[in-house]
Formats: sequence, structure tokens, C-alpha cells
Amino acid sequence: MEYTHITPRPVIHVDEEACGNAILCLKCVKACLEAGPNCIGFMNTEPPPVGENAPQRLEDIPHKIISTVMVNCNGCGKCVEACPKGALTLEMPEPQVPTVRVQRSDIIFCFTLRDGTKTFPRDD
Amino acid sequence: MCRYCVEYGGGTKWYLNPDNYRDELYTSGAHEATVKMLSGVQKNSFDVGAMSIADESAPDLYSTDSLSVGMEQMIGHGGQVVPLEDALKIIDLCREPFLLMHCACRRYFGKTDILRCLYLWPQVIETALKERPWEKDSRILSKEEAKEFEIDCDKKGFLHSIWHAAVDTDGILPMVMCHCTATDCIPTKFRVSYGVINAQRKGEYVAEVDLAKCKEGCKEYPACMHRCQFGAMRYSPVERVMYIDPQACFGCGLCRPACPYGAIKLVDRSSYPSLVDNW
Repeated sequence: MEYTHITPRPVIHVDEEACGNAILCLKCVKACLEAGPNCIGFMNTEPPPVGENAPQRLEDIPHKIISTVMVNCNGCGKCVEACPKGALTLEMPEPQVPTVRVQRSDIIFCFTLRDGTKTFPRDD
Repeated sequence: MCRYCVEYGGGTKWYLNPDNYRDELYTSGAHEATVKMLSGVQKNSFDVGAMSIADESAPDLYSTDSLSVGMEQMIGHGGQVVPLEDALKIIDLCREPFLLMHCACRRYFGKTDILRCLYLWPQVIETALKERPWEKDSRILSKEEAKEFEIDCDKKGFLHSIWHAAVDTDGILPMVMCHCTATDCIPTKFRVSYGVINAQRKGEYVAEVDLAKCKEGCKEYPACMHRCQFGAMRYSPVERVMYIDPQACFGCGLCRPACPYGAIKLVDRSSYPSLVDNW
């Protein structure tokens, strides 16, 4: 059987329409930086034009909010609080029990089971 | 030496092999696409865009080999830590001038802007100035200025890393040197958080401590400890010495100048047989 494991981590959803041009605000970016994880950033929505119509200032380029390395996020929600437009939602993963890692098919390295039974050392 | 040096080193390290700095590589094969994106108007979509999809690409933190392969084969961009002496040799291998520009990881994640990306190819300057006119803070450096910059980064505690523009059959093109810390550099975070090897490979060296010298030295407050970005330095309050874990060391050499007693040196990574596959 193929085994897939997904490391639980929060996900940030951005309503890009409500957010508008992110670079004019960046309150969530600053809030996440000040909180510690520094998971929120911004990038251009698409590469700007080259030539005569090329933007002369970074602020003239449309930007959107992005997130990365969300394993460092503890879900404090400061980014959501900081957004003046209600454009951010933070989706927390369902709480999960620790996974047992099977090292050998006949031995499971998890010594105390839920009912208190010790699987090691064996009495018999 | 890792696979890059075995295949593209020509008897030395890949980033010290003059063959990899040939002008024809700049416009050939897989290199051209990465060069075009990094030097031109698509840079932001390319580098921050790649960061923005990392979480989707690494669902399982314990298995990120596919992301590692993707970085090398599809994105065509990855780094390796180099110590100061190799960074200076790289500058010597390149033609002037150099382009020193902002650090995307810092600028686009809200941190204070500092100029930390040193582009090695004179051709980059022309494209960057033409296609990204809003980046007015970039500076153009001579060879001497670039070397002074490397030395200054070493003093301040920014590790040097050399970044390639794609691995292809004709070579691996050294494109840019970054000077950052694991706290700010997103690819280095990919390495330390997700274990993505090709995001930031370990250097060709490891640090060693002369324990006798160390014992006579700092005692309670080791001056080197804060310089390590990778948690490879461990302090023993019993012996009052620093130990360096060769399995965790990235070989950046930043701990060396911090030691007032000259107790730390870099040795070739190959002196530890166990590190043959640890990059």
C-alpha cells in the first residue's frame, strides 16, 4: 500500500479582488514579520511591460500577497487582524494524532498505547 | 565533491572551472531560459513565484526529493555555500563589471532592503537596467569593489553562496552570488525546513575546532557560536569548548574569523568519508 503523509500546516487564502494592489498596503506582510514567522510576501501579478510603458517605480506594478514556508506558522492570526479589507482567511489544519512510524513490519515503535498498555519491554 | 563537481568540475570545483564561464553557455540550452528570467522583467515572477508554490510542492516534509529534482530540472536554479576564499576566486574568474542588487527574499517579504545579490555576468547589467527601470538602487561594481563587498559580508556574518543558471549537458553556469542568512533567505529556509537539497547545497568544506586552543580561549561565552546559521556548533559547559557537528556543518567558514584564538579552520569535506553523499 502506498503511504502518503501530508505535514499539517495552516494555509492563507487571499481574496485578490478585495486586496487590490497589495504593494500599496502590505499590512499583513508587516504583521507576519513582526510576529516572527515571516511567511507572507508579495509578488507582481504578472511581469510588467518592457519599453516605453515600463513602470518607473515598484509601486506602479500591480502586486498580490503570497505565502511560503507555512510550516513556520502557528496560526496566530495577526495577518488576518491586520488586513483592513478583510481579504485574508487563515485555514487551520484539523488537529492530528502523531503518526506511528513503522520501522519493521513486525515491530511498531510506539511504546505506550492509549489505554496505558506498554508494548516494551514485553512481559512474556 | 558532489555530482556537480564530478560531472562539471574538470578536475576542480564546478564553480572554479573556467569552462563553466564560457560565453556560449550564456545563450545555450537550458541556461538561456534561466538567465533570461533572472536578468529580465520576469525575475519577480520567477524567484518569488517559485517560493509561493513551495508549500503545495512539498506536502510531506519528510519526503521532498521531488521538489529538489524540480528545482534543478525544471526551475534550473539552485545554490551552494562557498567560503570567502572561494568567493574571491569566483570574482577573479569573472569579467567586470558586476551588478549588485537588492535581495528579493528580504524586499518581497517586508524586511529592510539591503543590496546582497551580486550578478556575475556583464550581460546581466544591460538586460536588468533596460527591462527593470524601477530598480534604481542597484549598483555597478568593479572587480576590486566586488571583492571588498565579499570581505565585508564575511565580517558582518552573511554567508556566501553561488547560484547556477541550470544544469545541462554542456555545463553548469554560475550566475549570481547571494549573501544571506538562514533567517532571511527563503531557499535556505527550503533547505533547513523542507530538506530540499538543491535549494542550497552544502559547501565543499567543513569546519574543525582545535579543542586545546578553544579550551584556553573564550571559556563561558564562545564568540563563534552566533555566527553559525545551521545549528552545527554545540557548546559544552563541562569542557567549556565548542564542538562542530560535521554532519550539520555547511562549510561556510563564517565561524573562523569570529574566533579570537584562531582555533577554527576549514578542511576539505572529503576528509570525512561519511560526508560523501551529504550535500
